Amino acid sequence: MSDVRHGTTDELLAMRDGEGSAWMKAHLEACAACAGELYRLDQMRSRLKALPEFAPPRNLWPSVATAARAERRRRRLHGVVGLATAAALTLLTVLALRPAGGSATLADRTALQRAMAQSAVMEQSLHDLSPESRALPGDAAGAVASLEDRLSRIDAELAEPGAWRSAPDHVVGLWQQRTGVLSALVDVHTTRIALAGL
Amino acid sequence: MTETLPMAEARSLVARARAGDHAALEHLYRAHERGVYALARRLTPTAEDAEDVLQETFLEVCRSVGSWRGEGSLWGWIRTIAASKALMRYRREKLRAGEPLFDDAAESPGTDVPLRMDLESALARLPERSRAVVWLHDVEGYTHEEIAELMGMTTSFSKSQLARAHDRLRGWLGEGAMA
Repeated sequence: MSDVRHGTTDELLAMRDGEGSAWMKAHLEACAACAGELYRLDQMRSRLKALPEFAPPRNLWPSVATAARAERRRRRLHGVVGLATAAALTLLTVLALRPAGGSATLADRTALQRAMAQSAVMEQSLHDLSPESRALPGDAAGAVASLEDRLSRIDAELAEPGAWRSAPDHVVGLWQQRTGVLSALVDVHTTRIALAGL
Repeated sequence: MTETLPMAEARSLVARARAGDHAALEHLYRAHERGVYALARRLTPTAEDAEDVLQETFLEVCRSVGSWRGEGSLWGWIRTIAASKALMRYRREKLRAGEPLFDDAAESPGTDVPLRMDLESALARLPERSRAVVWLHDVEGYTHEEIAELMGMTTSFSKSQLARAHDRLRGWLGEGAMA
């Protein structure tokens, strides 16, 4: 019985890539069809490499740079101001739950608890959207950078010692603003995800 | 695309970029944007997807530039980030659409293929993952082991996809089958 089986494409590709079996090597010596196919596969690789290269249609560096700066700022925010906010949040929670404390009334404490809870919900929504994993176009990246700056300023104000005792209604207002800014950030990222899915 | 920056220049730019020098980051971007976009364009279905991969890749470069140790090829490092972002995008979209991660029958619809296609059209007709395997292996020179790692699949998956893709290309290009 003669050797009538030809090499499979898999075997010929392995041969082309320098990993051919002993059988394939021996078979190629005698089989013009397989030798021709091996040559064709080798030529195909050259033809693929010779296909024209696509060039980027527009300059994307400005949006990459804006997004990179925003991300760096966000890391700083979470690393420094974020810690201050977390500390302030803990302190304020304690104060809010305490019956007496500066000029705060029961209504202030209730409003503060509500504003903080809303802010926490919005912060979790933002976290769930994984904003760090997404590149944004220039306009969206600019809006995000501006919102994050506002958030940073609010968090810095909230971290001021004595803010709650001296002006509880202002602190409640700051937490409400914080919720608003976080909500706007959620909107930007949600819109971006929706557009990417179109 | 091959290495575009001499090693000494690449090391110097990366050191500056690591220290927060945006001009150095921009230089790295300019040196590699074409290669990254060209690769992304072959691994993703649309020009818009390729633009997103280009942005995601350089955002990752900005984020992790410190992790390139200056030993291997800088282009190789950036290229692997780009390939990974492009393939991740494919996975994400398949999962979002509730489709299987690998759909071998996902070539362009219909069996009424013209008798002869040019290579560019035939390549575009391949299912996205098969095209990625062909491109990464035959053009970019990735091994099957590296492709398997990038795709989260096995080496034999990569080999069989390459063989099937070449069989399809041969048919579409009207180059006939072996006797």
